[in-house]
Amino acid sequence: MSSFDELLSFDVLSLSEKIRSRQISPVEVTEAYLDRIRETDTQLRAYITVTAERARAAAKAAENEIAAGGWRGPFHGIPVALKDLCYTKGILTTGGSKIFAEFVPDFDCTVWARLEQAGAVLLGKLNLHEFAGGATTTNPHFGICRNPYNLERVPGGSSGGSAAAIVARSAAATIGSDTGGSIRIPAAFCGCVGMKQTWSRVSRYGVMPLADSLDHAGPITRSVRDAALMLQVIAGHDPNDPTSSREPVPDFTSAIGRSLKGTRVGVIKQLLEGVSGEVSRSFEASLAKLRDLGAVVEEVSILSIEQAPAIATTIMFAEAAEFHEDWIRTRPQDYGSDVRRTLEAGMLTPAMYYVRAQRARAVVLAESLAALENRIALIAPAAAISAPRIDVGGRALAASGEPVNMVSAVLRFTAPFNITGQPALALPIGLSSEGLPLSMQIIGRPFDEVSVFQVAAAYEEARGLLPQPKL
Amino acid sequence: MARLTGPAVKMLAQQLYDYNLSDDAAEAVAHMIGAMATYSRRLEALNLTGLQPPFGYPTMIAEAERSLKSSK
Repeated sequence: MSSFDELLSFDVLSLSEKIRSRQISPVEVTEAYLDRIRETDTQLRAYITVTAERARAAAKAAENEIAAGGWRGPFHGIPVALKDLCYTKGILTTGGSKIFAEFVPDFDCTVWARLEQAGAVLLGKLNLHEFAGGATTTNPHFGICRNPYNLERVPGGSSGGSAAAIVARSAAATIGSDTGGSIRIPAAFCGCVGMKQTWSRVSRYGVMPLADSLDHAGPITRSVRDAALMLQVIAGHDPNDPTSSREPVPDFTSAIGRSLKGTRVGVIKQLLEGVSGEVSRSFEASLAKLRDLGAVVEEVSILSIEQAPAIATTIMFAEAAEFHEDWIRTRPQDYGSDVRRTLEAGMLTPAMYYVRAQRARAVVLAESLAALENRIALIAPAAAISAPRIDVGGRALAASGEPVNMVSAVLRFTAPFNITGQPALALPIGLSSEGLPLSMQIIGRPFDEVSVFQVAAAYEEARGLLPQPKL
Repeated sequence: MARLTGPAVKMLAQQLYDYNLSDDAAEAVAHMIGAMATYSRRLEALNLTGLQPPFGYPTMIAEAERSLKSSK
């Protein structure tokens, strides 16, 4: 029997080892997490639905199965939670929207089907920016999700609940989704690890779309290794999603712990511009740390990266509007004002602009691949700023009270790798003077998540984890 | 350079989708589409000649097969 705090302090790997050796029961871990949700979620609003009874039943089943020698793997008995756009059979799946407020799917998305098959315990469904259509998670229908480091700050989005729950320790691992940065932005603002793997690596079957050609579902976790372990469970071809890749799935942890000595990484010059002084200083310190670890750190240039936000938003607007057409025409008043405006713009996006934006994606990828020649990864800040202030209207506010331009503050850093489909991981690099997390991204070649995890894990081990926020 | 106006956006939304935009919303959307037009023209400078959009025929075949299977 372990104390409540101790149970919540373990990452997935440590918890899994203790569950496997029966030092800890999945039942007591699940109860600890359910208590923690009760303790924190009135303030945080990370959850939309808590599936307590179902979690208890799954934890008990896991306990019995493990006792009988049927340990399934690292996620057996681990309490997890899903962004509430992941379809779960028999469980409310709202998309953070009024439109789907009472929607109960009759099938599971593949991501959850695979986690459940691996023995994971579902704690509940997590808050998000309505329909994943923004980066604040100031949700007009299910409550304002808040940043665990400062309750007056946004957690980022759209997977704000997924990141807030990780940092608040109200889930051991979560799933988010990322169309323009929606895994990495909340991971950056909340101070945890967010992995957007290569597009098509993970099935999107049963994940409510924002923009099909840019959408990814992926892990948000406390540590790099946890992200690799979770990706291991959910990756691989799925006949229900013909866009999912048949590329072999490697052991994502295989290079974790490998030295960076002699490796070369490229710092994307264009993404060093326009960042706050604190982000710049913290990022420079993280580059110094990588050099200390033996990596050769060099500046690289991707000129077309400046076009990426425009390419991403054109595609996102058009694809989102096509998916939402029936609802936006018949129930426009049921959308929050920001998402509604995006969809209205999408309805009138000329097809020519859409196709041109799609064609331009290959140019950015070609330049990115050139920058990766003889290098194992690229590096950039994950955002220009730390978490901005909450505005009840759904915007994000700077300290001055002026609205933050989220395109130049975050989308410029994250969206390039949605349009190229490359794997990109956000991880914490320190705290600002206001005690808010700062973050960097590590970007790899398509289907080379292994190198991304190698660089990220080496850095994480050298720097150590961020101090826990007081909640 | 032609400029998309709020009233034009309002009329298009009405005629294409039978969708009513408020004057303010129409102005905001006109601004967004106008910015998109500027950016789209900038993309021409990337030399897109000969580049195909990333829509794969194998995906289309697989989707057709899946659709056929689920309709049986």
